[in-house]
Amino acid sequence: MTENTIDSNKSQKYIVPIGPQHPALKEPGHFEFTVDGEIVVDASIRLGYVHRGVEKAAESRSWTQVLYLVERVCGICSHAHGTAFIQNAEALAGIEIPPRAKVIRAIAGEIERLHSHLLWLGVAAHEGGFDAMFMYSWRDREIVMDILENFFGNRVNYSVNIPGGVKEDITPEFAEQFRKKLDFLEKRLKHYLDVVNTDATFRARTVNIGTLGKEEMTRLGATGPTARSAGITRDIRVDRPYSGFDIYPINLILDDHGDLNARFVVRLKECFESIRYIKEVLDKIPESELTVKFPRKIPTGESMSSVEAPRGELFYFVRSNGTESPDRVKVRTASLCNWGTIVSAVAKGHKLADMPMILAGIDPCFSCNDRMVNIVGRGKDAQLWTWEQLRKYGIEYHSMHEGFNVSDCGIEQLREEK
Amino acid sequence: MTALHPLFALFIFPAGLFLILISFFIEWLDRKLIARFQNRMGPRLLQPIADIFKLLAKEEIVPIGVHRTLFMALPIFAFACVMTASLYVPFFGFQAAWNIRGDLIITMYLLSAMTVCLGMAGTNSINRFAVVGATRTLTQLFAYEGPFMLALLMPALVAQSWTISHIAEYASNHTWMIVTQPIGFIVAIIGLIGKLELPPFDAPEAEQEIVSGALSEYSGRGFGLFKIAKNVELVIGLALITVFYLGGIASPLLFSIKMLILLCVIALMQSTLTRLRIDQTVGLWWQAGAILSLAQLLIIILVRVR
Repeated sequence: MTENTIDSNKSQKYIVPIGPQHPALKEPGHFEFTVDGEIVVDASIRLGYVHRGVEKAAESRSWTQVLYLVERVCGICSHAHGTAFIQNAEALAGIEIPPRAKVIRAIAGEIERLHSHLLWLGVAAHEGGFDAMFMYSWRDREIVMDILENFFGNRVNYSVNIPGGVKEDITPEFAEQFRKKLDFLEKRLKHYLDVVNTDATFRARTVNIGTLGKEEMTRLGATGPTARSAGITRDIRVDRPYSGFDIYPINLILDDHGDLNARFVVRLKECFESIRYIKEVLDKIPESELTVKFPRKIPTGESMSSVEAPRGELFYFVRSNGTESPDRVKVRTASLCNWGTIVSAVAKGHKLADMPMILAGIDPCFSCNDRMVNIVGRGKDAQLWTWEQLRKYGIEYHSMHEGFNVSDCGIEQLREEK
Repeated sequence: MTALHPLFALFIFPAGLFLILISFFIEWLDRKLIARFQNRMGPRLLQPIADIFKLLAKEEIVPIGVHRTLFMALPIFAFACVMTASLYVPFFGFQAAWNIRGDLIITMYLLSAMTVCLGMAGTNSINRFAVVGATRTLTQLFAYEGPFMLALLMPALVAQSWTISHIAEYASNHTWMIVTQPIGFIVAIIGLIGKLELPPFDAPEAEQEIVSGALSEYSGRGFGLFKIAKNVELVIGLALITVFYLGGIASPLLFSIKMLILLCVIALMQSTLTRLRIDQTVGLWWQAGAILSLAQLLIIILVRVR
């Protein structure tokens, strides 16, 4: 499918620009597709239209305020951002949140996954011109939104987390309501999975489109459902269980086709897994307090944490200098990792008509991956380093400041095993 | 209906104003049905008329790089094409305003001319979306035109006349042709969807890729006229298929009911299918559509020879 049969004539480049403002884009981004008739021969991407400087803004706010700030990095996976940040803060402060709070965080994360995947299902179907699926999946998404509103008081940015625990408790009455709604949702999801797997016109647009093998995916560093659709066993909830997932484990969903259809299947099956998880865990939430005391000032230190957001691995690095606000907050979202799979590998050789669906296939979120890059190249104190130099510096830095040698951590071994 | 003054027939009824109003109703019903199928509310009854009034009242922007005269003339020409074609088609239980020998060919020619106008409107522009859209429009024209034409010619073959009114008369006096020529009917109705660039054959104006296709640069009056032309084309297409395949002219009430049932079928297909890529559309028509209609043609010829 991806074989490139075009003799691209450089003098007759015909570029179809998509964005920054375009009906297919829900957020601003700029793509240039060089086409030969209908076939895309080259693709380039330009992001950064919605850079908001959240990381810098975090440095002048208190720990509690930053929690609410990072929830607004992404409107869809706000709980994942909050969790990833507050886990760092709690690790630095040296506190362990109560088990009940942990499990409620996990449940909230799974509800978020449900609403995110349903939203994606609608958008992706719409990009392929299948509006009926779009309308129905968004109607059913309202069930999830209702749950969020009833439970946490907000449809988006629901702020389940507070420093040292969670805000709301899950009562038995609520759990009962909750279960009924999930039953209905499960029925609907079964129907969608059926459509995705059997509808002839839909399959004509998704099967063998945007295929990327396991090796390619690994090389390009894909995460989340995009990676799992190609058979890569990569899920932070399973690999490095956090909050509630260490108490009650969740199953990994895999598909090995690596095409667009596999991404639909993986995400829908993940929804089933989320529903199963929520239903099971609702019965056995451990009894405990909801919060522990969180200090105003946090001791000096650095911390990293990863959370499996609906789109993939969400990574947070936080450094504290012992004051009331963080010294540095670094965010790396899943969309940023997945862009490579589109531009450098998949786009070329496909039809222009497949582009919107392929783009939507990774469930991109533009505003959360926009960041500023300051390249210091021409000045006197140029800091252009090769990868080897950078690695050497990293090892030296850590052995000096942290007192351990990074090269002993098994990275070398892993590399050799490969 | 020969007593009607030609000008009255041309401007008021059955062509002209009456037809345009009906086409707004059909557009409304189509949108409403799709909306209900998709679990939405859909537009209000007067929405299409409001849209057109707004468009006609708006400034028409002529972009840089187009042939100005052509840009202004094409919508008018497309509109004129479908309005002329409507003169030969019997609507709602009434005889056609006009009939001459071979008017079926004229009607089909005028309907294709309208699509060619769309293609020209796209290629006239330097907008990339418009050019890609125009290429797709014309590619699609070559895909569905053959089978669709055959599907409309087969009733003519059976009735042994190229005049729409004669075929209509034949159709009213014999078994419905949907029974005798089911393949032709299916090809005709799918061909109509392709001709009107409705989903799933809406690749030429796929908003997710090429904004509004060939008409991306049109605004105001020009866009409004193209919109009316497409609506009228839908009514003409529905009327032709109803007359040919569903038992002739019949009474106004019966005719309307048949036409609305056809519309329901089209709306259902629009809302349940995913948009096909242009290569899939062409493949479908030449692999399935053309062969099916040729097979039907062969059957008709064999039966007639015997």
